[in-house]
Amino acid sequence: MESNKKYWKGLEELNNTPEFVESNKHEFAEPIPIEDVLSGNGLAGKTPRRDFLKTLGFGIGAVSLAACQKAPVHKSIPYLIKPEEVTPGVANFYVSSYNGQAILVKTREGRPIKVEGNPGDVLGKGGVTSQTQASLLDLYNVSRLKGPMQDNGDTSWAEVDNFVRAELGAIKAAGQKIRIVTSSINSPSTQGVINDFIAQYPTAKHINYDAVSYTGIIQANQNSFGKAVLPHYHFERADVIVSFGADFLGGWISETEFTRQYVSNRSHEALEKKKMSRHIQFESRMSLTGSNADTRITLKPSEEGLAIINLYNAVSGTSLPGSKPVSNKATQTAITLAAKELVAAKGRALVVSGSNDVAIQVLVNATNSLLSSYGTTIDLDNPSYQYKGNDAEIVELVNEMKRGEVGAVFFLKANPVYDYYQSSAFADALKKVRLRVSFADYNDETASVCNIVAPNSHYLESWGDENAVEGYYTLVQPTINTVFDTRQAEQSLLIWSNNAVKDYYTYVRNTWNSKILPLGGLAGQGGWETLMQTGFVKAADKPAGTYTFSRDLNAVAQTILSQSAKIAGGNGKLELEVYEAYTVRDGKYANNPLLQELPDPISKVTWDNYVAISPKTAKELNVEEGDLVEVTANGYKLELPILFQPGQAQGAIAIALGYGRTKAGKVGDLVGKNAFPFLGLVNGTFQGAAVAEIKALGGDKIILAQTQTHNSYEGRDVIRETTLKEYIKNPAEASGKGEEEKNTYSLWDEYDRPQYDWVMAIDLNACTGCGACVVACNVENNIPVVGRDEVRRRREMHWIRIDRYYSFNEGKEVKTREKEIEQLENVDDVSVVFQPMLCQHCDHAPCETVCPVLATTHSSDGLNQMAYNRCVGTRYCANNCPYKVRRFNWFNYWNDSRFENYLQNDYTELVLNPDVTTRFRGVMEKCTMCVQRIQAGKLQAKLEKRPLRDGEIKVACQQTCPANAIIFGNQKDPNSEVSRALRSERNYYVLEELNVKPGIGYQAKVRNRTELEA
Amino acid sequence: MASHSEAIIREPLITGKNITYAQITNEVLRPVENKPNLAWWIGFGLASMGATMWLFCISWTFWFGIGEWGLNKTVGWAWDITGFVWWVGIGHAGTLISAVLLLFRQNWRNSINRSAEAMTIFAVVCAATYIFGHMGRPWLAYWTLPLPNQYGSLWVDWNSALMMDVFAISTYFSVSLVFWYTGLLPDIASIRDRATGLRRRIYSILSFGWSGSVKTWQRFETVSLILAGISTPLVLSVHTIVSFDFATSLEPGWHTTIFPPYFVAGAIFSGFAMVQTLLLIVRKVLGLENYITMFHIESMNKIILLTGSIVGVAYITEFFIAWYSGVEYEQYAFINRATGPYWWAYWSMMTCNVITPQLFWSKWVRTNIPFSWVLSIIVNIGMWFERFVIIVTSLHRDFLPSSWVMFYPTWVDVGIFVGSIGLFFTMFLLFLRVLPSVAMAEVKLLVKTASEQSKKKLLDGGHVDPDHAAYYKESLEKYDSVDLTQYQKA
Repeated sequence: MESNKKYWKGLEELNNTPEFVESNKHEFAEPIPIEDVLSGNGLAGKTPRRDFLKTLGFGIGAVSLAACQKAPVHKSIPYLIKPEEVTPGVANFYVSSYNGQAILVKTREGRPIKVEGNPGDVLGKGGVTSQTQASLLDLYNVSRLKGPMQDNGDTSWAEVDNFVRAELGAIKAAGQKIRIVTSSINSPSTQGVINDFIAQYPTAKHINYDAVSYTGIIQANQNSFGKAVLPHYHFERADVIVSFGADFLGGWISETEFTRQYVSNRSHEALEKKKMSRHIQFESRMSLTGSNADTRITLKPSEEGLAIINLYNAVSGTSLPGSKPVSNKATQTAITLAAKELVAAKGRALVVSGSNDVAIQVLVNATNSLLSSYGTTIDLDNPSYQYKGNDAEIVELVNEMKRGEVGAVFFLKANPVYDYYQSSAFADALKKVRLRVSFADYNDETASVCNIVAPNSHYLESWGDENAVEGYYTLVQPTINTVFDTRQAEQSLLIWSNNAVKDYYTYVRNTWNSKILPLGGLAGQGGWETLMQTGFVKAADKPAGTYTFSRDLNAVAQTILSQSAKIAGGNGKLELEVYEAYTVRDGKYANNPLLQELPDPISKVTWDNYVAISPKTAKELNVEEGDLVEVTANGYKLELPILFQPGQAQGAIAIALGYGRTKAGKVGDLVGKNAFPFLGLVNGTFQGAAVAEIKALGGDKIILAQTQTHNSYEGRDVIRETTLKEYIKNPAEASGKGEEEKNTYSLWDEYDRPQYDWVMAIDLNACTGCGACVVACNVENNIPVVGRDEVRRRREMHWIRIDRYYSFNEGKEVKTREKEIEQLENVDDVSVVFQPMLCQHCDHAPCETVCPVLATTHSSDGLNQMAYNRCVGTRYCANNCPYKVRRFNWFNYWNDSRFENYLQNDYTELVLNPDVTTRFRGVMEKCTMCVQRIQAGKLQAKLEKRPLRDGEIKVACQQTCPANAIIFGNQKDPNSEVSRALRSERNYYVLEELNVKPGIGYQAKVRNRTELEA
Repeated sequence: MASHSEAIIREPLITGKNITYAQITNEVLRPVENKPNLAWWIGFGLASMGATMWLFCISWTFWFGIGEWGLNKTVGWAWDITGFVWWVGIGHAGTLISAVLLLFRQNWRNSINRSAEAMTIFAVVCAATYIFGHMGRPWLAYWTLPLPNQYGSLWVDWNSALMMDVFAISTYFSVSLVFWYTGLLPDIASIRDRATGLRRRIYSILSFGWSGSVKTWQRFETVSLILAGISTPLVLSVHTIVSFDFATSLEPGWHTTIFPPYFVAGAIFSGFAMVQTLLLIVRKVLGLENYITMFHIESMNKIILLTGSIVGVAYITEFFIAWYSGVEYEQYAFINRATGPYWWAYWSMMTCNVITPQLFWSKWVRTNIPFSWVLSIIVNIGMWFERFVIIVTSLHRDFLPSSWVMFYPTWVDVGIFVGSIGLFFTMFLLFLRVLPSVAMAEVKLLVKTASEQSKKKLLDGGHVDPDHAAYYKESLEKYDSVDLTQYQKA
């Protein structure tokens, strides 16, 4: 159909005016000045409005496009050929070894990010120390040397090799002595390299030098039994342990192993059998071990010798010449009682002493011999090789250097210019040595006075092996290429001694092939590959022989008594004891921020050492907590603040070693003061007791960076403890479990937990308070280190902390309230309890209801979650947390120049766990129960199409705990380990009366206190 | 309103002889229409220095983080929320005066409501700065609003008292602002009518075209009443909800059911003290003695006495309940308040809030201007300490003794608080310059009925019971703005 209708667009068209006809010929109603523009006239002409708008539109569009800054580009180079073993996002674990313990190193995309215990490890059974956990950070430490140095200037390895070889040749020709000073070497391969070196340069000699040495024990065993060894102790076989200042849970010889052994007699397994070992500690300072003791008697350092004599007398029923009772009657009674208990437990008894005095250790040997400890609790035939140092050798070295006899000296993992007791004398003598080579990976105190520094690689970059105890060999294997231009010391020694074996890896292989693999029934490439999976070889133990002490003790007693007289205080003089710091040890960990910020387990002080003094003694001396005092002993002076330490012997003070490094690196420099000069060389060994004087210096008080400032639990129900006797009568006595169930009402809807309910059980009787969990958590969860000033403002970020409370015993009464404690006459009988405290993942979490933006919520598997991205930072949740476990990011720790020493640099960022996000400023954070591990475990189970197995997922704190105090698992599974632990009669929940339904059960502390002492 | 005269025995609300409407306008608008005097400049200089300090300190905090404050792992709120509650509390007097007293037909409110409401607005502004300031990530503050988002179900937590706070404060602020501004309309129109040039145009816009017709006045009255009705529950609800921040928590010392009434009483207490602090100065400096009279001062002092006593009873009740509850944490929290390391804060609070206001039982003290002013300052200090005591001394030692710590403020904490006072006074002083500090229209209503001159007329008319006349004359003795000589003659 055709339409006749015609639509016109305007009157012009209808009328068909001539103007319209004209204009209709053009495509556009208005002429476009194309010609003008092309001819250049357009620019001069008037800009039409439309053109102006077009230009404007284009201009704005173009400018805004250009202004859109591209997101910063991080160039990452993809694998051209993907290594078979690396899958992005999936961690690889490699076996290795640290401090003689087999470990697993977790790597992600080729970077080691976590050190974990090897569950097969003979010493720790999967538990490792805080130092092992923290050792990872050293790998990425910016203060490490970036390459070899000559005369404090950078050089190349080739030049170093040429120089050292030429020098060594000249020294050899001149017949001068060559000395290799190392901390104790128990690596068969390293020892082999050193021996080969000595074979090449016969004037060379190897000196094992330990800043904190065990020469006393080694020599005493030589003296007593003709075996110059450090025995292998078996605390698990001892029913009665008497320790004189031996801090065997806190660094003495083999703490992880000893902790495991010790706790096996005290944790829930033992208690279920109604058994528990008894531990009596005599000591001057409050050590970690003393804090765990059932009975703790304070002694001044000068009384220790006499106390051991009295114990020997009581055990043997004889009386050594010159012996007299200890002046304090209570102490004397305690010694007699301890002797009685020891004798009653003959064959299951152990006496140890932390002294480095040969005579004292001989007497301890004699006592142990009487108690039939040899062959049972002490093994001399499968000795420990953890410490081999002989103090006399280093002293002799100084004399040799002074006499100009030494042509070359090498330092491997030894820093005597810092930690030798007469460090300036050492440094002066060292100047006379022609060739001074340090293998230190930091330009430390010793390295900086050496003419060659040939930086050793970190152990995670190295091949090697260790032999901590007889028959137990662990492999060290690299998990990353060298981060800096470092070279293994063994490699350097091989080159410098023109060894036939050109590289150290081959050397290690040879050692294992020929000597070690056969011990484990392995051989060849297959054996080596098995080793790469297991990480260690354990030969069968040799039968532990019984040894009987048969030497004359009269002279020994005389030596002890005369030495004790020399260190006796009185007349306004105090007795000083220096001890190895728990966290930074002899100073070798001083540059590790994780360890500097790990609070001392007892004093909870971080980033400092101090003078520990009993409040009573302080009152007599008229000094107060925080006062700066000058301590004078052995002709050396130090200025340190005062810390009131309950349990510190009256008239005695204690100062930690390992601080006051001057060339440790950015972190460790000038933290605390160096107490090594307080050591004295006594009867051929270094000893830490001296007569001291203190003088208050006045001025402002110093506030130590403590993470806990209130020390008593105020009689509150949060800590529940009992005695073994009460426990046997009624196991639920302390926990109050089984009392009539109270009706509880809930304001909230209960949600179903279809599959999982993640909970935790913490055994207060197993926890020794060591703090390894704290460091493990820090590394696992990328927890920032905040530094001394921030800790001083009480802002440490630790997700798990160990609460430490003192209570005081007065007769049968236990005083836990500060007000009562202040009025106590006798404050020596102090008991300590540790309580690991972390987010309790309450089912009725008070933090969840108060968050205005729902940034913290509950998961369907019982976790209290924190959505960092949603948090606006009102801190209401932290205020409302009864456990005060939430931590706020006060600053942007990861990107604030004030925190760069610890975290903010290109290297330490490499240590971060990629599964855990770093938290921005203004955000709350707290324990997640390692949700990334839970998720990984669930995924693994899902991939393998099987249900999750109990114990398959281990949270970081649990995994590292040498005492197995922490059990994590699924409460929905009634047979899980955690469910069983929570059914324990000792189980209670902290603040359960608030009805917040916490997810972490604590098992009440049991102390094996006898009636006689009460 | 009413054309009949008020009973002679009521004290006059406006003093002075021959007060005319024009005179009221002239006197009230004197600061608005003239150049500021030296006193204003000095005050404004000091206040703006304070405001600058506030700006500096709050910027410092935003730049570096909340870590610049003295807070720590145990004490998550201190000067921030103390300041917030303090300011919100101060705001309460304004609403009480403008809304509750209007509903109760307390005509004496007419002279003071304008300044009190302005004070409310500015105090709530100061309080709001703390809401943003105390957040770890203030740039995300809008997340506390239930805004639709791409996450679908990602919503705010209606259980959280902070969430309720967001609504309580924002409602309060908006209602107060509307109420205040509505009241201002006739007065702004008066300024407009007298002004010229640009000022006239500005005030013309601000007056929303006020015509002064009977209909306008009638609607004005109605709106005022409606807004008063809306505001009245807010007087109770806002501080009730603020108290929920504490009362709904688990914290010993916070978890207390008495908090809502106790906080409301405390808020009115501190609010009246602040009104007193401001107006005693304003009436002198701006020469408003005839409108803000001794009767007003005494009335406010009576309210301070009453609310102070309520607060005192609340303090004692808290102690009793702590003991009676048998909860050791609760008991310790209160013992710690009184005898712990922050005992000085507790006893400052007790002295300032409970003991010194009792002096107002004495009429001499109530009607003594310097005394009233000093006491009002003391009450302000005491109420600051009350919030500090509640927040810091509860938090710093709660359940687990291992976490017990001390709180020490930093210069930033102090700077922000002192600066917020500067901010408040800056705003208040600017208000005095641009808007009438006394509600002229409402005061004019009283001239015919409740002023001294109208009562004088009654007296002079001689139809008054002589006893009543004597009583009235006696009541005039306390006034500092009444010329008593004329009454002696009569």
